[in-house]
Amino acid sequence: MKIRPFRLSVLSLSLLIPAALVAVVLFLVVYSGQAMLFNGLHFVTDINWNLGDLYSDPVTVNGISVPSGANYGILVFIVGTLLSSLIAILIAVPLSVGAAIFLAEAVPHRIRPVLSMLVELVAVVPSVVFGLWGIAVLIPFIGHYLSPTGNGYGLLAAAIVLALMVTPIIASTLLDALMQVPKENRESAFALGATHFEVVSKAMMPMVRTTLIGGIVLALGRALGETMAVLMVSGGGINILPDSPFSPISTIASFIVSQLDSAEADPTNMSVRTLSELALVLFFITLAVNATAKLLTSGAFNVRKRQS
Amino acid sequence: MKILTNLLRSGVAALAIASAAGAAHAQTVDVPLTESGSSLLYPLFNLWVASYSASHPGADITTTSTGSGAGIAQSIKGLVQIGASDAYLSDTMVKKNPTMMSIPLAISSQAVNYNLPGISHLNLSGPILAGIYEGKITQWNDPAIVAANPGVSLPNHVIIPVHRLDGSGDTFIFSQYLAFSTPEWASTLHYGTTISWPAVPGALGGNGNSGVLAAVKANPYSLGYIGVSYADKAAAAGLGVAALQNKHGEYVLPTDETIAAAAQSVATTTPADERVSMIFAEGANAYPIVNYEYAIVNSTQPAPALASAIHDFLTWAINEGNSPTFLKPVHFLPLPAAVKTLSQAQIDKIQ
Repeated sequence: MKIRPFRLSVLSLSLLIPAALVAVVLFLVVYSGQAMLFNGLHFVTDINWNLGDLYSDPVTVNGISVPSGANYGILVFIVGTLLSSLIAILIAVPLSVGAAIFLAEAVPHRIRPVLSMLVELVAVVPSVVFGLWGIAVLIPFIGHYLSPTGNGYGLLAAAIVLALMVTPIIASTLLDALMQVPKENRESAFALGATHFEVVSKAMMPMVRTTLIGGIVLALGRALGETMAVLMVSGGGINILPDSPFSPISTIASFIVSQLDSAEADPTNMSVRTLSELALVLFFITLAVNATAKLLTSGAFNVRKRQS
Repeated sequence: MKILTNLLRSGVAALAIASAAGAAHAQTVDVPLTESGSSLLYPLFNLWVASYSASHPGADITTTSTGSGAGIAQSIKGLVQIGASDAYLSDTMVKKNPTMMSIPLAISSQAVNYNLPGISHLNLSGPILAGIYEGKITQWNDPAIVAANPGVSLPNHVIIPVHRLDGSGDTFIFSQYLAFSTPEWASTLHYGTTISWPAVPGALGGNGNSGVLAAVKANPYSLGYIGVSYADKAAAAGLGVAALQNKHGEYVLPTDETIAAAAQSVATTTPADERVSMIFAEGANAYPIVNYEYAIVNSTQPAPALASAIHDFLTWAINEGNSPTFLKPVHFLPLPAAVKTLSQAQIDKIQ
């Protein structure tokens, strides 16, 4: 067989990325194996999370050594993650659709690149900056004007911060698609006597619907995994399910960060293993979201191709 | 044959070069040390290292702020030479790693800060705080709080308890105060760097001391526990400092005198391995939430040069490093003489 050095080297390089993914998943599965045995299935339905007494002697449960009193239930964090992201998307979609249509239709040609660049700039602002803004501006605002208890930390604050972070993702994806809508469609609609609103809503938006859905799902993936900004404004609810927009919550990603340091002091290692299991849960949630995005956007992304 | 002699020669030459390089390296004595751990100790370590490096050329110490748990874990794994921790090693940890030592370097304390408009003095006890954080005491005008504060008109308003979200030595000493003063808390929630906080509607978590400070500041009628190095910022934010009930039933504010009183009363009973809690100490004037700040160090180091570098730095830290120049800015107190002797004895074990 002929040896092709170029092809071999490129092949091995390209295999590195899936290999890294497999390695991470394998590590998480192997490392959290003992935790899965200990936690069982009620792991995802239990709302009580307790690292146990790390300063007394560990106890042995079903042959597994764990801190005494340890009980791991993650329902609160799954609910917090999904709720905050969903509300964030509900806020972000109208904002970003409006922004994208404005940029595509109502802005003079010369200013458009500047404004669309600004929208993309918001996408690269570090999340800790959003978190600081949340603490300094958003939380006092919610506390003074919205919350009945005067407390601004919680689900709504987390959702608004997440919404601001994902709006540029949806808006710039949508803007790209709107700019690709063939000129003929737009002009024919005008020629038929459609108003500007009808042109946008009847001739353009239907053509970019799939792109919009894909952008939303991508944004959802980003929101589900956000850590720092959420940690700063969510109020860190634990052992209690949220019952109002002003309830403190925790998301999976922010909770892992906040617990890891204490978990490392656990002599049985069960706490860190359980956090790995929690990370695996988050991984599968985001994987499912991203797979959906791929399915929804594949083939349908390029509007022009569909026209020909 | 010729190839073999050539190989031999080059091998000898390589060895000679290597040994020369080794000798040259040993002469400069440049052993890099890394400190990692407690974010409460981090500002002090930065002050120390800057001054120590200036007076000790060749000293190469990196400081990082990661958290007490990480400091303990990394020093046990040998990733860092000095782990900084607000909490001493647990019995189980010591059993598993018998060469790991907990060496006090200075004394810290913690305030319970409250945001109550119009109230400038507030008495609180362990059982009251336990009740608040368990959700059994929910109103500021609860009979238990009123009884502890005669003459103070407390508002009829829901209490917002604020705790630390992240694992923290502050949570460790605060929960220890609750556990030592309230048997019920001790049997259900214990103490630790993270607590499974009971479900109290409206209870908040803050990330780091700064997060708790921000949350208490933003929420009137809230209270939270904040490390002493944030005392200036808490005062600037207009937060009150609660007088806490000590073991003798007295309500005391955290001052240099009351913290030193607690330190003195524990100094005589501190064991040789120095793993002792100063929380809820004896003494009529002793403030109840006081703790040693620890260096977690392995007594058996892989190289003599490393051992002597750690030894020299820690010795400096508990002597020159305990002067007010370094401790005042972070509101820490120096080790009592008896404890300093114990720390020195532990430092001398490093080899």
